Amino acid sequence: MLEIVNVHKNFKTKNGVTNALQEVNLSVKNGDFVVLVGPSGCGKSTLLNIIAGLEKATSGQVSKSGRPILDAGPDRMVMFQEAALFPWLKVIDNVEYGMKIKGTGKRERREKAIHYLKMVHLTRFASAYPHELSVGMRQRVALARALSMDSDMLLMDEPFAALDSQTKSILHAELQQIWGATKKTIIFVTHNVEEAVLLAERVIVMTANPGRIKKEFRVQLARPRNMEDIDLTRTVGQILGELKEEVEKVAKAELDSDWSLENSSFISRPDTHLGNGI
Amino acid sequence: MVYRTGIWPSFLFPSPSGVLENLSAGIQDLSIPIAAQISIQRLFIGYSISLVIGLLLGIMIDRIKYLDQALSPLLLGVQTLPSICWLPLAILWFGLGEEAIIFVIAIGSIFSISMAVVSGIKQIPHLYIRAAKTMGAKGLRRYTSVVIPAALPAIISGMKQGWSFAWRALMAGELLTPTSGLGYVLIMGRDLHDMNQVVGIMIVIVIMGVVTDRLLFGRVEHAILYRWGLTRSH
Repeated sequence: MLEIVNVHKNFKTKNGVTNALQEVNLSVKNGDFVVLVGPSGCGKSTLLNIIAGLEKATSGQVSKSGRPILDAGPDRMVMFQEAALFPWLKVIDNVEYGMKIKGTGKRERREKAIHYLKMVHLTRFASAYPHELSVGMRQRVALARALSMDSDMLLMDEPFAALDSQTKSILHAELQQIWGATKKTIIFVTHNVEEAVLLAERVIVMTANPGRIKKEFRVQLARPRNMEDIDLTRTVGQILGELKEEVEKVAKAELDSDWSLENSSFISRPDTHLGNGI
Repeated sequence: MVYRTGIWPSFLFPSPSGVLENLSAGIQDLSIPIAAQISIQRLFIGYSISLVIGLLLGIMIDRIKYLDQALSPLLLGVQTLPSICWLPLAILWFGLGEEAIIFVIAIGSIFSISMAVVSGIKQIPHLYIRAAKTMGAKGLRRYTSVVIPAALPAIISGMKQGWSFAWRALMAGELLTPTSGLGYVLIMGRDLHDMNQVVGIMIVIVIMGVVTDRLLFGRVEHAILYRWGLTRSH
């Protein structure tokens, strides 16, 4: 059980203090699959980093199973947007690294590493170096490494954002399967609403400036889920409706002030006017 | 060609055949191999000392923030000082001999090695540290298993630079202190007006420098860069 109570996070920047997170309250049950979505700059990654213990909240409490989170630890494995593999280690040694730190015996370590590499279908590349793999393969190694730590919680910070859509859909299927098989608590950050609905039990929509939780959606669709599923698309539509306002807010702040989603999504082409300007 | 133009008399600009003859004579009577051996020995001792001190100093500067602030600007200043400028001090401290030369060699490369360690560690992608943290790697363990390996390519190139500094310091030291070694043979050639010997020794020095640079450091550096995925070629 993860409890986030009244968390604030401020960043000091050149232009003063930015409210990255304001009054965030969230509790996550064991075995839950929670996806945080929101426009860029809404603090979803910051929230994940606070849960991971890589950043500290300015105020508020974060606790896991009753104990406050003070530091990063192997009970909360993190998968980053980049694989973060160590380039000087072979794939299998990368997977074993965390277990080695934990003090797992040599033989058990090797067996487990092979087991999890099998799970992500990469046993053939066990003795390759990370730079010899594709980006998607590296991300799968990172997944194997995260799983091998036997942590009950997995934190994923846009782990598939840099992948091509085929690799992404394979990994989506694998992740759903692994979640079903291991019953880990997963907290997943993305800005892709389709991805959120495909994976999540709960989708948490966040807003920007200041970053706070706007609304929560429960996704009660049968697994394995498909992108083409009509119910899924409907849920995506609902959430997108909720997000539209937010996206517009961010876009307005970043683009010129006369920009609007309604006008700019209409594409005007002279050859489709059918002479209405005559 | 230049020799044939006759701008300089032959005792100032030697003919290639004369140089070759002198070289082969020097190799046959073992004077060049012995001198080279003495020089290499000095270089080896001096460079080993500077490796140990340079690496430790670099790691200490990185670990202790206070040292970083106090020493880094100083190191940068000292590094710009050609190491041969230490020779007068070294001669006063250690006397005119082996130790003074070794001191100059060591001091010439210590700073470039420790600077490379410091900047190499500073440039590590933060992602590696974050990943190591979440896997529970702490303190010294994190240092030896992540920080040092991640900085290794930079450290190796610092070591390579340190080697070339040490090599130059060695030659300068030998030229200026009348003891033994390749530099001394070179200066003896000058004193005897034997330009064949001077140019011959220069060639030996160039060859030795190129060989160690290419074969030793070149290979190690290339292997590490390849393994770290920083180069694409084999």
